[in-house]
Amino acid sequence: MKTKKSVAILSRLFIALCLVISLAPIYWMLNTSFKGQTEIYSRIPTLFPQDFTMESYQTLITGTAFLNGLKNSLLVAAVVSAFSLLVAYPAAYTLARIRFRGRQIFSRAILFTYLLPTSALYIPLYIFVARVGLTDNILGLMLIYPTFTLPYVSWILIPHIASIPKDIEEAATVDGCSRLRIMYQIIFPLALPGIISTTIFAFAMCWGEYLYALVNVTKTSMQTFPLVIAGLIFGDMYPWGQLMAGAILACVPILIIYMFASGSLTGGATEGGVKM
Amino acid sequence: MEGNADASVRRNTKFAYMVNAPLIIYMMCVLAVPMIWGISLSFTNKTIGGGADFIGLKNYITLLQDKEYLNSLLNTVKFTFFSIAGKLVFGTLMALALNVKFRGRNIVRALLLIPWTLPNIVAVLNWRWIFAATGGIANYLLKGLHLIDQDLIWFGSAGLAMTTIIMANVWRGTPFFGISILGKLQTIPGDYYEAAAMDGANIFQRFWYVTLPEIKDVILLSMLMSTIWTINEFESVWLLTGGGPNGSTEVMNVFSYKTAMTSMQLGKGIAVSVLAMPVFMILIYFLSKKMLGEEETKRRKKA
Repeated sequence: MKTKKSVAILSRLFIALCLVISLAPIYWMLNTSFKGQTEIYSRIPTLFPQDFTMESYQTLITGTAFLNGLKNSLLVAAVVSAFSLLVAYPAAYTLARIRFRGRQIFSRAILFTYLLPTSALYIPLYIFVARVGLTDNILGLMLIYPTFTLPYVSWILIPHIASIPKDIEEAATVDGCSRLRIMYQIIFPLALPGIISTTIFAFAMCWGEYLYALVNVTKTSMQTFPLVIAGLIFGDMYPWGQLMAGAILACVPILIIYMFASGSLTGGATEGGVKM
Repeated sequence: MEGNADASVRRNTKFAYMVNAPLIIYMMCVLAVPMIWGISLSFTNKTIGGGADFIGLKNYITLLQDKEYLNSLLNTVKFTFFSIAGKLVFGTLMALALNVKFRGRNIVRALLLIPWTLPNIVAVLNWRWIFAATGGIANYLLKGLHLIDQDLIWFGSAGLAMTTIIMANVWRGTPFFGISILGKLQTIPGDYYEAAAMDGANIFQRFWYVTLPEIKDVILLSMLMSTIWTINEFESVWLLTGGGPNGSTEVMNVFSYKTAMTSMQLGKGIAVSVLAMPVFMILIYFLSKKMLGEEETKRRKKA
């Protein structure tokens, strides 16, 4: 009994430590974003902004291409995640439910492309985007982002669909429902919670993507927000107030979506890598 | 009866390829063809905006003799090894601590997941600011604790720069390990522990003989997965240290980016990726075997 109690205390202490380590940096970012220039560099850092100011946000929004970057990121992420769901859902459905010739190769190919790292592909895709004339254009990013979202959505959706009882489908078949109708009108609504969380994750992947955007887009008007933020850095000059304000604004949409999807959140994250 | 089954498989096959045609066509055009084409370009001297002449294995041979390239491989191994070790240790501890019931556990779990959900660029800038030489909070705290007397130039010395990129990676990646392992821990029946306790097993023995065998697989999966991602890491290193000082944190992808984009040698840049392929292939092979294996057993159990 004694060990049980000390384990409980130790584990709580450790959790508290984890919470501090996880959240303190984020608090620090928030704190910095509301400080003025002089306070940011004051010799003794202040735990709260002494002179609370929105100056950094103001400069960021009026003086840089940040808002335009957010808009571009939003456009790319929304289009790509919707497209991915549309195109990948049939793959997940057929792999979860239907026996067909070439099924094994198909599922292996999807898993392979899901695991294939983006760094192995960025140069070939850069050449490809240049060839089709979409360099310096968010359309180019919309064209290539599905190379990582499609396999992801297909693969992650399979267990969600497989967990739906088969009887529902069998009853529908007896009633004379066509395959397509079963897939879209019966199974799709039932798999919706999984579909939503998976699409959110696909959205998040595009939202913060850096390497492909860096390589393919240099024109400021076409840049997504990660490039705009990184572009605020000039050599060794880091405008910390603006950078932190930008970082905060870029997190907000993601955090809001996660909070809303909190129920499916933990499952989704685990499945992001490991299926159990 | 057999003819019937055949016909149904044929119908299924037709249906499956019909609805999957967009996916297959897209993956062929945007993934497979550019990739194969890219690999063939690694045997040429293709540059940005320039032509491509066949030069055989020259890119590969120069790479293998290039000290900067070999150094970048060594840095990648170091970076990956320490990052994975950190994420594994902290992630396992986090999972074990979260597996003890307490009030507000669900909220805590969601909060601990936040670093993993942030866009990478946000996490990177945050750490860059924390470790900044002027105004950075890390130096201030360490001085306050009297661990150092003078400001450290975190991005100015080899060992410290490597430490910062590893810390940033561990901070962001630990929740992935934690939540994955926790998911498995919660499926271990309580009587396993009761039985072990009855046999007089102490807490470490219980961990070693009851917990560990159960979470072994999920640990392995998380490690393989995370290894692929960590070798693939580019932006955190590029934006934190830029590969410096003196190439001490120049990991493979930073080298590849510099070769392909800064020096504009696309052919050589692709050769870097091609040389890394065998490693990825081995990791993917083991991962697929594990993941597909689980899929099959799950299906069999259900049937």
